[in-house]
Amino acid sequence: MTLTTGSPVGQTILATIFLNAMARAGDALAGMSGHDIVVRAAEVRMRRANEVVDDCGGPDAVVAGVYVGITGPLHGHALMLLSPDGARRFAALLLEGVLEPGEALPGPDGELALGPLEASALQELGNVTISACLNELGTYFEEPVHPTVPQAIVELAGAILDAVLADLIAEVDQVLSARTSFTIGGESIDGTILILPDAPSLERLAEAVASQHR
Amino acid sequence: MTLTIPGGAPASTIPGLSVAGIGEMVSSADPDHTLVCYGLGSCVALSAWDPRVRAAALAHFMLPSGSSSGPPVKFVDEGFERLLDAFRVIGGSPGRAEFKAAGGASMLAVMASTLDIGRRNIQAVETRLAGAGLRMTASDLGGSAGRTVQLAVGTGRLLIKSVSGTKAL
Repeated sequence: MTLTTGSPVGQTILATIFLNAMARAGDALAGMSGHDIVVRAAEVRMRRANEVVDDCGGPDAVVAGVYVGITGPLHGHALMLLSPDGARRFAALLLEGVLEPGEALPGPDGELALGPLEASALQELGNVTISACLNELGTYFEEPVHPTVPQAIVELAGAILDAVLADLIAEVDQVLSARTSFTIGGESIDGTILILPDAPSLERLAEAVASQHR
Repeated sequence: MTLTIPGGAPASTIPGLSVAGIGEMVSSADPDHTLVCYGLGSCVALSAWDPRVRAAALAHFMLPSGSSSGPPVKFVDEGFERLLDAFRVIGGSPGRAEFKAAGGASMLAVMASTLDIGRRNIQAVETRLAGAGLRMTASDLGGSAGRTVQLAVGTGRLLIKSVSGTKAL
């Protein structure tokens, strides 16, 4: 049997990888913030990049994103996308213990931009969540998959994907995507995690997954 | 008349709006139409507008060079002539056209320091225009912000939207 990441079996395995990763990410974020945080991944599958952008409100929609590069046995890019409002609410929860009671967050440069502390908190959120996914993917290889330093941006959804796809030279139009839901107390914040391996990495991942499930 | 280039963007579902996706181009000689490139990051949009016949074409270039069987203007080097050909088909004359460009941002610091695709795309477009003896009349290139551009076929006005605001060329 040839197993691909797009086959039904491959998609089930990818979904399991994300489920495990999100459980770990929830634990790590709860430890960081002091809140009970549950992270769930739904609809884990390979999709076309433009479908993912449409889910975020279209290419013209403004989103808050965290970019992490992927190095090691897999090469490529990873993104976590949230609504700007969701990102701010999450950042405020993570920063509760950092700010003095009544202390306001430093303001951003523009209406839609993130303040420096908000950006830092969002980077950490993206770093923890994406790293959990990369760690799970790394279990299929003999060496770990490494993330680069995270970068938080508030930008047009299409422009963020455009910048990443240009690096992949668009030979890869398939994106490993997971709709993600963060639940903190009674509050839920939705996001999307995208893993974009380059073409050779996608092949390596399919081979590695297949070899462990034969 | 609005033309969608074979292999290019599907016709927009919004009347009068033609969208050039990544590596695609659109053109029109209908003054009521608008040509659009959404969400330019490191990609560069190049527009051509002929004020005499009010014909316009818009390309969404992705990379400076290469060859593929993919979308028609994915690469500047092989896509530039295709843009001019499409412009001529609807009656536009490159010689009297106004060329405007936007995009070529370096949005992600890690990638900007290594690949710098935005800057290379800008250089490729400038080199191709100069090589054809054509002049860029206005541009909004580089920086670190994503852009959406809209070209009004009737006026040649290029509207550029980003997270920080809107400007017109």
